[in-house]
Amino acid sequence: MKKKYVMLYLIDRCIDCKACMVACKAQWEVPADHFRTHIDEREAPTRISNSRTYFLPSQCNHCDDAPCVHVCPTKASHKREDGIVLIDRSRCVGCKYCIPSCPYNARFFNEEAGVAEKCTFCLPRIAEGLKPACVTTCLSRTRIFGDINDPESEVSIVLKEAIKNKNKIWKLREDLGTEPNIYYIQS
Amino acid sequence: MNIGVSRRAFLKTAALSAAAVSLPLSIKATEKEPAKKMYGRKSSQTWCEMCFWGCGVTAHSKNGKVYKLEGQKLCPNNYGSLCAKGNAGVYQLYDPDRLKKPLIRVGKRGEGKFKEVSWEEATKYVADNLKKVIDSYKPRAVSLIAHGSGEHAFIKLMELIGSKNVAIPAYSQCMGSREIGWWLTYGAGFTGHEYGDGENAKCMMFLGRNVLESLQVGEAKKVINGLTKGSKLIYVDPRYSKTAAKADYYLQIRPGTDLALLLGMINFVIQNKLYNEKFVDEYCSGFEELKEAVKGYSLEWTANETDISPKDIADICYELAKAAPSCFIHPGRRLTRYGNDTQTVRAIGILNGLFGNWGYPGGFYAIQNPPIKTGEVCEVEHEEGCSCGRADGAGTDYKLAPSNLGRENGLFDAILSDKPYPVRAMIAYGTNFFQHYPNYETSKKIVDKLDFIVTCDIYMTETALYSDVVLPESTYLERQDPIVTQGDKYPFMQYREPATEPLFDTKGAWEISKMISEHMGFHEAKWKSIDEVNEEIIKKAGITLEQLKKDGCYVFPVTEGIYPQAEGKDLEFKTASGRVELYSGFLDKLGFDPIPKYERPKQAPIGQFRLLFGRMSYHTHARTQNNRWLLALHDYKVKVWINTKKAYELGINDGDNVVLRQGNKKSGILTAYLTDRIHPEAVFIPHGFGRLSEFMKSAYEMQGASDADFASNDVDPISGASAFQNAFVRVEKA
Repeated sequence: MKKKYVMLYLIDRCIDCKACMVACKAQWEVPADHFRTHIDEREAPTRISNSRTYFLPSQCNHCDDAPCVHVCPTKASHKREDGIVLIDRSRCVGCKYCIPSCPYNARFFNEEAGVAEKCTFCLPRIAEGLKPACVTTCLSRTRIFGDINDPESEVSIVLKEAIKNKNKIWKLREDLGTEPNIYYIQS
Repeated sequence: MNIGVSRRAFLKTAALSAAAVSLPLSIKATEKEPAKKMYGRKSSQTWCEMCFWGCGVTAHSKNGKVYKLEGQKLCPNNYGSLCAKGNAGVYQLYDPDRLKKPLIRVGKRGEGKFKEVSWEEATKYVADNLKKVIDSYKPRAVSLIAHGSGEHAFIKLMELIGSKNVAIPAYSQCMGSREIGWWLTYGAGFTGHEYGDGENAKCMMFLGRNVLESLQVGEAKKVINGLTKGSKLIYVDPRYSKTAAKADYYLQIRPGTDLALLLGMINFVIQNKLYNEKFVDEYCSGFEELKEAVKGYSLEWTANETDISPKDIADICYELAKAAPSCFIHPGRRLTRYGNDTQTVRAIGILNGLFGNWGYPGGFYAIQNPPIKTGEVCEVEHEEGCSCGRADGAGTDYKLAPSNLGRENGLFDAILSDKPYPVRAMIAYGTNFFQHYPNYETSKKIVDKLDFIVTCDIYMTETALYSDVVLPESTYLERQDPIVTQGDKYPFMQYREPATEPLFDTKGAWEISKMISEHMGFHEAKWKSIDEVNEEIIKKAGITLEQLKKDGCYVFPVTEGIYPQAEGKDLEFKTASGRVELYSGFLDKLGFDPIPKYERPKQAPIGQFRLLFGRMSYHTHARTQNNRWLLALHDYKVKVWINTKKAYELGINDGDNVVLRQGNKKSGILTAYLTDRIHPEAVFIPHGFGRLSEFMKSAYEMQGASDADFASNDVDPISGASAFQNAFVRVEKA
């Protein structure tokens, strides 16, 4: 079966240390004030104090039905067979349509290169058999990456386990029908 | 604010300023470039120096240019991970603000006028000036403050000079009270390598230790793993930090009252027989005295003092008791707070003793020491020595302060007062006292008293700015250092090789120290090469250099001894009684309370706040604030945490520009962060901002407040270490 790459976030583990953000920045020479991945804070009510903070990582969701791919006039933004949504820099004309089209705010404009930019699931790294930079450096093992079509992969095993344990599993803005490939898991 | 310099522009600047080194302009693999075309790739092993924890790092470079750092998989300090700081080491290496050439001051001190000189000239100038001070005032007039991997090089130089005035600020300005408090109770310090067995704990309690944000990667990993396995987390802090976000019990304590909470807990645990009777009988001394001494600290009294409800206090005692001995109460880390810090750690030690969390999985494990010692690059045939004693009171006025670490605060008192004798020269290695010694004005006075100051660093820090000579050190990615060994659950040794040629005209600490030593005429010192020393160590360890180079570290196998209590071995404590000293005979002899007693710390005057400061997970001390990758993580803003209600009373809204004020003194601009997650009596700022040196351009432009400029300079009477947080400030709109 074809490979299909996904990422899981075990959000109970995230401590918002931001190592993923800098690892990615270092790896891909992301322009000064931008990052390809972020961590947000969210509040949830709890019985212990008035509220509790959760840390939610985010990045490009590599959607199956990606709005950025639909709006791209030059097909620079395209969906690969392995599920990765990629921007072909040589085709990108910098029209920026894709940036507001993304419901996850995952894209930004790279002024220096004159192209739209975002997470690539570290395609050149995975081609070499490495894990994405954010996954490698994550000290809390919040991020798990792999081929969901391989039943033996870590993502498949962890996801199955989460379903069995009745963990809360969700994707961002599923109502939009973009079919994201990033899974949030909370026990 | 001119913060918008692009990454590429920065890389170009770095390339231009390193004209001597050929640097390719495009250093990254573009996303389309196939892997096999990437020639000239190399991996080098080192350990991280962005903080002092020493995570194993593999540096990847291409055509001589370092492009990515990754954690060494086997290194027990980090097991493959690097934090944000560690990942940002690449920026530090290519930071255009780095020191590039040796400098000799030509203007007034602090004016920022220097001339570039050769290494030969700079080190000779240092040697001549040190000799001048020695000739006028004896060798003891030379002092050293140092922190980092190269500190041993300058400690050697001090041995050659014959001065004992070496102060490592990690004692008096950071961990001193903790080490002494633990030593008094257990006969040994807690050591820099925290040995709480987080990954096996059933319950963990932290006070004075924001463990998931101060971020020693290895320690944080242990804690996270424990939490994932279901360990309870009790976290006590006036501020809801990122550790609090993971806690089962977050207790927002009134600042300054930790000791009250601990004494209340001790009493509750004894009264309700929640302690481990067998362990107390077998291994503890002074239980009856303790029981008597703490009986006044009732639940109600404790709740009233600490602002924590009686139910919460009782609940956490039950949680700990249920988990014991697979639990621990962490003794904190930077214990420079209210002046009662040694006794606070004593109380933590006592509480752990009552639960018997010693040498047991999930409690404290026994640190295993490596079977070999780190070698010395310089052998001194005969140390000049000095019968004069130290200037800082370590071992004399403060009997428990260890002389190998010294008291930096005591050293500065001696410099200012000429008592017990004049100290007129200072070598500062990798440390910047303007940012960790209270009050900029006092720091300037210290400078004025000194005939000669030399700083060895990678940036023009404030201390460098006020120095007579500035010696630029190569960063950890450009230099070699002797192999280091480290004790832990599994002891290990770490290897460092240069990942790149030095970008600028910089040298490693050993080389610099050797040059000064030669100019001073210490020809009896035998300086070996780092390779020679490493060869000896590797031979002793019975491994090969190739092995070490491959993984970057070597972990010694350990089969037993990590959990002596669980293994059924008798526990030994190196205290005078050979037991855990709940009652400290030693403190009694010295005239201190043998069992901690609570006294309310200084209170804030009306309209003022206690100034708390601490780490963010992405800055270390005052050394990473010039790193734009890290500054971008907090949007180039320095926030002050202030309680919402208090802020509204002052007419301050969230996001407003505000300043701290103390008397006539005013801080730089901070951004108000209004939150209920800080106790109303305190405000919090991150450490390391509010800089004076314009040469650290990004850090300088960030403004913010320097906690050091506002901190108190109280001293813990037992350990002789500082207490910074008895300082109070007003918050005003800018």
